[in-house]
Amino acid sequence: MAAVTLSGIEKSFGPTHVIKGVDITIADGEFAVFVGPSGCGKSTLLRIIAGLDDPSGGNIRIGEQVVNDLPPKERGVSMVFQTYALYPHMTVEANMGFGLMIAGESQTTIAGKVAAAARMLGLGELLARLPRQLSGGQRQRVAMGRAMVRDPQVFLFDEPLSNLDAKLRVQMRTEIRSLHQRLKTTSIYVTHDQIEAMTMADRIVVLRDGRVEQMGSPAELYDRPCNTFVAGFIGSPAMNLIAAHVDLTWAIVDFGGEVGLADDLRTAPGQRLTLGLRPEHLRVLPADAPGIPCVVEVLEFSGADTLISCAPLDAGKATAVGSNQIQALVHDRLAVKVGERISLGIAPELVHVFDAASGERL
Amino acid sequence: MNAKLKKLADRALLGLCVLLLVSPAISVFLWMLSLAFKNDVDNLAYPPVFIPHPPTFNNFKVVFASGPFFQYLINSLVVSGCATLTALLVGVPAGYGIARMKARKLMMTILIARMTPAISFLIPLFTLFQLLGLTGTLTAVVITHLVITVPITVYIVAGYFETLPHELEEAAYVDGCSPWQRFRYIALPLARPGITVAAILAFIFSWNNFIFGAVLAGRETRTLPVAIYNVLTFEQIAWGPLAAAALLVTLPVLLLTLFIQKEIVGGLTAGGVKGG
Repeated sequence: MAAVTLSGIEKSFGPTHVIKGVDITIADGEFAVFVGPSGCGKSTLLRIIAGLDDPSGGNIRIGEQVVNDLPPKERGVSMVFQTYALYPHMTVEANMGFGLMIAGESQTTIAGKVAAAARMLGLGELLARLPRQLSGGQRQRVAMGRAMVRDPQVFLFDEPLSNLDAKLRVQMRTEIRSLHQRLKTTSIYVTHDQIEAMTMADRIVVLRDGRVEQMGSPAELYDRPCNTFVAGFIGSPAMNLIAAHVDLTWAIVDFGGEVGLADDLRTAPGQRLTLGLRPEHLRVLPADAPGIPCVVEVLEFSGADTLISCAPLDAGKATAVGSNQIQALVHDRLAVKVGERISLGIAPELVHVFDAASGERL
Repeated sequence: MNAKLKKLADRALLGLCVLLLVSPAISVFLWMLSLAFKNDVDNLAYPPVFIPHPPTFNNFKVVFASGPFFQYLINSLVVSGCATLTALLVGVPAGYGIARMKARKLMMTILIARMTPAISFLIPLFTLFQLLGLTGTLTAVVITHLVITVPITVYIVAGYFETLPHELEEAAYVDGCSPWQRFRYIALPLARPGITVAAILAFIFSWNNFIFGAVLAGRETRTLPVAIYNVLTFEQIAWGPLAAAALLVTLPVLLLTLFIQKEIVGGLTAGGVKGG
C-alpha cells in the first residue's frame, strides 16, 4: 500500500494537449475516483499512473519513489480493464496466476494465492473454465482476482463496470467497495458515471478538458460544488442551473419568479448570476406563492419519489442554462397534475450561487 | 406455395452461379483425373471419353519407371518443409514486430520480394551459390524458396496480430511481462489460426514453385514440378503419364487444402474482451 502523488502531469498526443497540468495526492489506503465526461483525460491519467503511457511532463510518485521511468511491474500496480482483458486461451486459474508465474513464483505459492483470491471472490468453482464460458459478472470478478493476487500497492480500475447490466453494476459496485474495505489497498477508479463516483469514493476528482475542476469527498462536492460544471455533473437528477440577477435579498429569475438568497450570498444589486437549485431541494408550492412559477409538463413516479419536470410559465423568455425545464424531486405524494400551475420554492441556504460570466461559485 | 417456389428458384440460381464460378477450375482438374486413369487409345478418341473404361494404373507405372519419383517427392517435401519452417521462425516474430510498430513501409518492402518476378532473383542467386559451392544442392533451393515463403508468412501473420485486442498485451505488460514474454505467452498462442493459414499457404506456394528448382536444382535434387516437366519433354505428348504425374504433385496440396478448413479455428479470441 502506498500514497500516489501526481505533480504537474502533462500529456500530449502530437498536437493534442490531453492532460494540462494535473496535481493530485491520493492518500495511502484511499479509494479515489476520477470522474468526468468522455474525453476529459481520466483514462489517460490512469494509464500514465499504470505505466502504459508516458507523461509529457510532471512526476508520478508511488509511495516515496518517483516511478516515471519504471515499467508497470516495478510500480507495484495492477489494473482492471474496461474490457476485462482476460487471456482467452488460459483458464481462470491461469489467468489469475499469470502475473505470479511471470514473476517466477513457485507453483505452490501461485496455487495458494489464486485459491485465496478465488475464495474471496466466489470463483472457486470456476477455476478450470475459460473466459468465454463465463458471464459478464464472473469475467469481471476474474479480472479483479487477477489484479488482487499480485498484492499490489495500488489498484487501478478503468471503467470496470461499464459493460455490465444495471443490476449487476450496482451489485459489483458494492463488491468492489467491500473488497477495498477488507484489503485497504490504495485504489484509483475511473468512471464517467457520477453515481458510481458518489457511491464508491472516499474522494472524487472531477476532471474536465485535462484539468482538475474539483477534488473532495462526495459530500463536499455535493454540498459545495466550486463551479457550474461540477454543480451540473455531480448529483442525480442534475442540478437546475438558471440565469438570474441580484435584487437586494432576492435573485430575480430571468424567465420570471424569484428565489431568496442567504445573507452571505447577497452581492451587488444587478449582478448576473447562475442559480443552482438541486431538484431534491425544491418544494412544490401553490401557484400564487412566491417562488418560480411554472407549469407541470411531465410526472415521473418511481415509488419512493416523484420527479416533476416543469416549464417556466413564460417559455418565450426562458433562458435556463442547458434547458429551460426545471426538475423537482419530491418525496410526498402530491396531488399535482400535468398542466397544473405551481410555484417552486427553495430555502435560501440551499441555493447555490455562481457568477454568470465565470461560472465560479460566489 | 409461391414462397417455396421462389426459394427453390433462388437456390437453383445460386447453385448455377457457383457452378459457373468453379467450373473452370473443377473441369480442368476432372479432366486431369480422367486422363490419369485412361488408356492411350481413349486419349484421342472422338467423341471424347470422360470416364475411363476400364481405368488403368499404367500411367502411374510409367511415371514411377521414368525416374526416381520418390526421390523427387522427398526433395519437394524437404524443400517446402524447410522453407516453410524457416519462414515461420523468421516471419512470425517479424510479423509481430511489424504489427506492433505499425511498420507499414517495412511491410511493403518485404512484399516487394513477393511481387518481383522470381526470375530477377535468379541470376544474382545463381552467381552467389556458385561462389559458395551450393549449386545443385537442396540447401540452395531451400534458400531461394524463402523468397516465396517469408513475405507471405509475414504478411498474413502481421495482419492477424493486428486483429488481436490490444488490451490483452497491455494487461500482460501490467502483469509484468517483457515484450518477448508478451509475444510468447499472449500473442503467439492467440495467433495460432493465422500462423496455421500462413504456414499452409507458404507451403503450397513453395510446393508449386517451378522456376527455382528448374534452374538451381541438380539431377538428384529436383523438386516434383521440375520432374513433371521432364516427363513432358522426354516423352513428347505422353498425356496419360503427364496427367498421372500432375495428379501425384497436386495430391499433397489438395489434402492440405482440405485440412485448412478444419484448422482455421475462428473465434479463439472470443470471451477475452467484452461481449464475446
